[in-house]
Amino acid sequence: MLELSKTMKLDDGALVERAKSGDRTAFSQLVARHEDVVYRVCFRVLGSREDAEDAAQEAFVRAYKKLDGFEGRSSFKTWMVRLSMNVSLNERSKRKGTLPEAPMPAPAPDPERELLASEAAARVHGALQEIQPNHRAAISLRDLEGLSYKEVGESLDIAEGTARVWAHRGRAKLREALSE
Amino acid sequence: MSVEELLAAYATGELEGEERERVESALEESPRLRSELEQYEAMFVLLAAAAEEEVKAPKGFRGRVERRVAIVAYLGAATNALDDLAGAYGRAILYYLRLV
Repeated sequence: MLELSKTMKLDDGALVERAKSGDRTAFSQLVARHEDVVYRVCFRVLGSREDAEDAAQEAFVRAYKKLDGFEGRSSFKTWMVRLSMNVSLNERSKRKGTLPEAPMPAPAPDPERELLASEAAARVHGALQEIQPNHRAAISLRDLEGLSYKEVGESLDIAEGTARVWAHRGRAKLREALSE
Repeated sequence: MSVEELLAAYATGELEGEERERVESALEESPRLRSELEQYEAMFVLLAAAAEEEVKAPKGFRGRVERRVAIVAYLGAATNALDDLAGAYGRAILYYLRLV
C-alpha cells in the first residue's frame, strides 16, 4: 500500500517510467486511470460488452509488453486509445460478417436523463455498427470521446486531415443509418 | 470536400472562412441541404446524449488485467533466467512448455 500511495500523485509520464523499470503497481495505477476510456473505445467498436472486456484486457497487456517503445511523443491516454483501436478493429475484422449482439444499455439507477442517454446510446451504437470501421473509429473518438482532430489522428495513426475526412464522411453515413 | 460532406462540420460549428461561406451560400439556395442540416442537428443531439451514457469498465476489470500482466512479467523473467542458464536451448524448452 505504501508503494501505491507513493504513486498516487505521479503523472502518467512518471508512472510509465516507473512501470518501465518493473514497478507493476505503477502500471496498475495507469490501468485504473484509463480503464474506462479503453473499455469504452473497445465497446463502441465491437458493440458487445463481453468482447469489449476481452479487447480492453488485451490492449493493456500489449501496452505492458510494449512499454519500452512508448517514447512520450503523444500522451499515454492517446497511445492507449490507439492500442485499443488496433486490438478492437483487428478483432472486428477477424469476425467480419458476424453481426454483433444488440448493445446492452448500461443499467440506469433511475433518472430520466440516464434513461434517455442509454436509449440514445443504443440507437447510436446500432447505427455505428452499420458504417465502415475507420469512419466508426473517427466518430467514436471525435463525437463521443470529444478528442480533437489532432488526437484522433494520433490515436488512429493517420494525418489530422485524414481524421477530419473520416469523421465528415462517417457522420454522413451515420445520418443515413439513423434515418433508416 | 463537397458541401454535402461539410454540412456536419457546419452543424457543429467547426467550419471557418471560405468553407463556412461556401456552405452558407449553398444552404440559402437549397431546401434539400437545409433539411439535411436539420437531420445533422438532430443526430448531434443524439450523439451528445449517447456520449453521456455511463460506459465504465466492469467490476474487477483491473484485477483481471493485473493477473494477466503478472503472468507476462513472470514469463519474461523466466525466459531471461533460462536464457542465462541454458541459452537458446533453454528458451526453446520454455517455448515448448508454454504450448503444452
